[in-house]
Amino acid sequence: MTLKSHHLSRRAVLRGGGIALALPFLGSMSRAAGLVATKQQPKRMLISYIAYGVYDPVTPDGKAHEWSWYPRHDSGPVTLNKASAPFESVKDSITYLRGLDHPGGYGLGGHSSGDVFATAADMCGADKTNNVSIDQLAAKINGHHTRYPSLVLGSEGGTGSYGMSKTLSHAGPGQPVPALEKPQEIFNRLFRPYANHTVEDVRARLKREASVLDLMMENYESLHGKLGVEDRRKMDEYLDSVRAIEQRVERTSKWTHEELPNIDTKGLNLEATYHQPTEYMRCMYDLIYLAFQTDSTRFATFMTESESSTGNLVGNFANMVLGYTGATHDIAHKRPEGASGEWEKWRAEQHAYFLKRLRDTPEGDGTMLDTTVVLWGSAHPHGSHSTKDYPLQIAGGNQLGFKHGHLHNFEGARKKPLSNLFVSMLNAVDVPVEKFADSTGELIEILA
Amino acid sequence: MPQSDLSGSAVRTTKVVALMLTLVAASWTREPWVAAASEVAPASPPPIPAGPSGHRSHVQPFFATYCIRCHGAEKTKGEMTLHTLNGDLASGAGGELDRWERILEVLDDGEMPPEDEKQPSAVERAAVQAWIDQGMRDHVAKASNAKPAPLARRLTNFEYENTMRDLLGIDLELIKDLPQDPVKPYHFNNSAEFMLLGPDQLDRYLKTARRALASAIVDPEKPKVFRQTWSLEPKGPAFATMQPDEFGVYQGGGGREGAAIIPSWPETGEYRLRIKAAAILPPGYKEVPLQIVMGSVLRGDFGTGEYTPVGTVHLTNDVDHLEEFEFRGRIENHPMQVGEVTKHGQAPSTRHIYLQNLFDNGRLNDRLVNQFDTAWQFTVPRAVVRSIEFEAPVVDTWPPEHHTRILPASPLRSADPDAYIRDVLDSFITRAYRRPASPEERDRFFKIYKMLEPEFDSLEATLRETLATVLVSPQFLYHTLAGDGLTTPDYELASRLSYFLWGSMPDQELLSLAANNRLDDTDVIKVQARRMLADPRAQDFVRNFTMQWLSIEKSRAVNINRNLFPRFLYLVPNGERAGQEQLYRPTIRDYMIDETVGFIGELIRRNASVLAIVDSDFAWLNEPLAAHYGIDGVQGLRFRAVPVAPGAAIGGLPTQGSVLVGNGTGSAPHPIYRAVWLREAILGDEVPPPPAEVPALSDSAGEKVENATSIKDLLRIHRTVEACNDCHVRLDPWGIPFEEYNAIGQYQPFIPKNGAVVRRFQANVDGTLEGYRKYLETVNTVKVDAAARVPNGPEVTGMRDLKNYLLNERKEDIAENVIRRLLTYAIGRPLTYHDRYAIEALLDQSKHDDYRLQDMILAVCSSDLFRTPTRAPRP
Repeated sequence: MTLKSHHLSRRAVLRGGGIALALPFLGSMSRAAGLVATKQQPKRMLISYIAYGVYDPVTPDGKAHEWSWYPRHDSGPVTLNKASAPFESVKDSITYLRGLDHPGGYGLGGHSSGDVFATAADMCGADKTNNVSIDQLAAKINGHHTRYPSLVLGSEGGTGSYGMSKTLSHAGPGQPVPALEKPQEIFNRLFRPYANHTVEDVRARLKREASVLDLMMENYESLHGKLGVEDRRKMDEYLDSVRAIEQRVERTSKWTHEELPNIDTKGLNLEATYHQPTEYMRCMYDLIYLAFQTDSTRFATFMTESESSTGNLVGNFANMVLGYTGATHDIAHKRPEGASGEWEKWRAEQHAYFLKRLRDTPEGDGTMLDTTVVLWGSAHPHGSHSTKDYPLQIAGGNQLGFKHGHLHNFEGARKKPLSNLFVSMLNAVDVPVEKFADSTGELIEILA
Repeated sequence: MPQSDLSGSAVRTTKVVALMLTLVAASWTREPWVAAASEVAPASPPPIPAGPSGHRSHVQPFFATYCIRCHGAEKTKGEMTLHTLNGDLASGAGGELDRWERILEVLDDGEMPPEDEKQPSAVERAAVQAWIDQGMRDHVAKASNAKPAPLARRLTNFEYENTMRDLLGIDLELIKDLPQDPVKPYHFNNSAEFMLLGPDQLDRYLKTARRALASAIVDPEKPKVFRQTWSLEPKGPAFATMQPDEFGVYQGGGGREGAAIIPSWPETGEYRLRIKAAAILPPGYKEVPLQIVMGSVLRGDFGTGEYTPVGTVHLTNDVDHLEEFEFRGRIENHPMQVGEVTKHGQAPSTRHIYLQNLFDNGRLNDRLVNQFDTAWQFTVPRAVVRSIEFEAPVVDTWPPEHHTRILPASPLRSADPDAYIRDVLDSFITRAYRRPASPEERDRFFKIYKMLEPEFDSLEATLRETLATVLVSPQFLYHTLAGDGLTTPDYELASRLSYFLWGSMPDQELLSLAANNRLDDTDVIKVQARRMLADPRAQDFVRNFTMQWLSIEKSRAVNINRNLFPRFLYLVPNGERAGQEQLYRPTIRDYMIDETVGFIGELIRRNASVLAIVDSDFAWLNEPLAAHYGIDGVQGLRFRAVPVAPGAAIGGLPTQGSVLVGNGTGSAPHPIYRAVWLREAILGDEVPPPPAEVPALSDSAGEKVENATSIKDLLRIHRTVEACNDCHVRLDPWGIPFEEYNAIGQYQPFIPKNGAVVRRFQANVDGTLEGYRKYLETVNTVKVDAAARVPNGPEVTGMRDLKNYLLNERKEDIAENVIRRLLTYAIGRPLTYHDRYAIEALLDQSKHDDYRLQDMILAVCSSDLFRTPTRAPRP
């Protein structure tokens, strides 16, 4: 099947306003259209989200509480407290950031700024729509190196909706990428994509699908021409979907020439559900680890909890783990002593587990953690309903130009947009970006 | 000014406006409003000249006097500024007509200027309203001003599944494989704005279509049938344990499963399940509900099992008169237990049948004090099942009807296979598209068929794949549109009717009317709509519409504080999940949703006044729910209309559990949530979400009963912050009267004394219903403060007063809200100021019809706006 101009969706990239790519981008675009690139040292990125902000009380003498999510209150070297203790063994690979956020999310309601956590989009501007997230931008530029451009996970699954996103990833305006939530399904998609079929069968099927898709496109175009302008614009999303399948068919077809990784499923509890939060979180983090380790993908997002869990039972992890009797969401509002700190510690344990797995895996002259940049945080601070000053931890990527071990406070006069960090993260994974959304430069404070 | 005068003038203003608007609508002469106003106002002011000159001479000065201080260059409260507005409404006001409509509405409601600000006279106010109204009317009257909204929108998941059911003739569970549809509280998700098609979605549609067609089209050879009968016999004289054929009150989890285990085959097909069953009914009981479910192994303690119901039977016959009951279903709708992997390899997968005695008198918790009192099961109804007979697939006729409706037996099949395939495609595509397909549209799929033919080894297999592509084409996935040479407006109308009232594709009768161009006629539409509402498929409409309109789904997920409400949920008595909510049986919260949906359904059926949503002379209840609300004399799980005495604590929507639980915190009532609900769902206001940077309101009840504080006090503190006050002053009063109802939806007008130390609940003393009542009496000693002054209205004390106020003073707002909801849902797009006068006409009609709900639905269906939503509404 020959390549068509739309195969590397240039339109989608261009639609993501506010992104200024350095010139080499054009080069990578033609590279993407070419064959699978030669093996190179993978540079990876994970963004992981926790909901409802964090516990961050201040003691009378202005210091951080021993159960606070932040290990200290002001700028300075990181010394861990009770809630952040799980990070002890990776202490040299983590940095805490205070005072960064996305102004584009200010106007969203008290539970909605999670929508823009990974996109920095100005959702309250004229368009009232989200925009491309950094993992999806990275996937567009460098996703062709791996079998899957990206991996998008979330405990609640799906996309959610405006102001109640259940995914961190967006391919462009109006294109949330549905999060996967079932471990078994994720595992099969990653490592058993052909199910019980032979590679030859799969190739034959793909070839057939490509021809059928051409006719589907023809069918669409015949209908399209007969509709009014407004409806035609609306139907463009159908066209985008057909194209997405085309791209996938072509991509899958290319990757049938590469061997699938062999995965030892021992110790993986793929049956885990949100009813067993600890097992479930471990399994999801294990799957991200395996996807990275086998170089099946390099860009992942994980919405561990959504901001709208009051509407269902899935996000109420605190009740299941701690036996907390109110709604999990209430912890954020009431900040009860005891439960709040325990809750932060539990969340830290899950995330630290992932960082440690990366750290324990040697790669090149370092570990996987050195070549993986991991952002972890929430779009709300301690004060509920605020959409400013996100609690953030950035970890790993020691070989990608990051330096760690400190807390940096950007509050007040030192304020910078969080998208500056995004620029640095994108550059670290070989996406040469000069500007992303409202960025004003790089976040030099955390660069070596 | 004294308070009574204030509220009095607000009411008077509303009347003046209503009267005036009617006159304006009737005929616009040069000064009609002057005459109208002079009836109530002593002095008649000069008329405001139409258009920009009036804006300059009257409207701007009016704004400057009463509004600009908060909505001008200095302050822009509510994101509204008035000093820069374009006054040329008739020609579009520079795209600011939305704002003008908002201004008109707040003036109309008396919401602005705020009560503590300088007020214009009723006549001044009315004059400005009339000026805005006329400008908008002039603008809307010009059809070319209407901005066409996109009507292309995909089917919602709910519509998709129903359409597949009616198209294929088999009822498959398909939604679980599709990305979830968006949900936005108090909004319908069937609009173009929400029905986006993401990059992953088409892929899932394709997989789902393949799966559905694997079921719909069978292979030619008659399949092997699995058939087995399991017998259950009493072992001997009754002891204090259940006999093997007896099923006591279901306690969740596995328990005995009747030993009925189905192998993993057949993979698709209809099954038939028969049971021979009876009831053991102690005196005073008339029936026992027995639910049959099939799925994976249900391990109650772990909560890992999954099942789907087979059906429920309400048994009344005794053991000496065993009766046989038959159930049918699709085997592929039931989850499987995946075989365990052992050292001998993987065990085969299985499906398991469970029998659940769902008896529930609302007092099951009486027996859960320490652990379940098994002896009690013998004092309440038991089910007896002597045999279970299972058979799949059903091959009474082979191939089955759902197969032959796609692939009819025809000599053409062997004589001229290509002609046969063309016929097959022709009829399938036409039905799938809900309109005749063009020759080109059909040819394309014939091409696809020929392309696929060499790759598959049978006609059936090739056809499955071909039809799967039909089911991912936009003509199937999107609502039917009449476009340039595509199809006629009648077909579009047939679909709009059927997706409105059935959530599914039109049936043959609608399509025939469309084919003969006879549908687009007021009388025909009304006959059809009435027929459709009487069809069981209309229940889907009622459920989907009601759930979204009232935003009650969330009531299922609110975390109930089990310390405060120890009797509300059925908890697992012991084992690993002890103290957590029981799985695998309907809960009181499911019944609450059924109550609300059934209530609306009953209003439609009775063609009752829509005002019954505020208060009604009946409630829609079953036994556990009646027990929860403290109403006697309702027996059995089936819902029915129960008469409610005037002045009772229940009646209408505001006192239903789904509303009260969903808009509570699980510990306490939440006056803000409830106020938002009332304003959004009943009065039709749009309440903005809390802005960022606003400190949250603390929960009134705290962690425990011991440190409860009054919510009213908390709100008072909250309102001292100006940023909070601007919104809350118009919000809080609506929620305060709801304080008489607790977080689990019961009338509870007494609460603990502020700061009082109360005794904690002790299960062994306070566990039974009587014990619990006594306990509550000792704890709740103070009458709750449920008095508030309604914004621009009178002081109301409690729910009864609030309802009376709504019924007396807000009739039109409530009726208009329901009309707007129905219309928005029916045409699948948000309403704009362009629709304003079409809605006004519907409201007048409805008023004339005493606001009867079924009439209202019929009026919506036959309105111009529904028949041709692209056309600008006639002024």
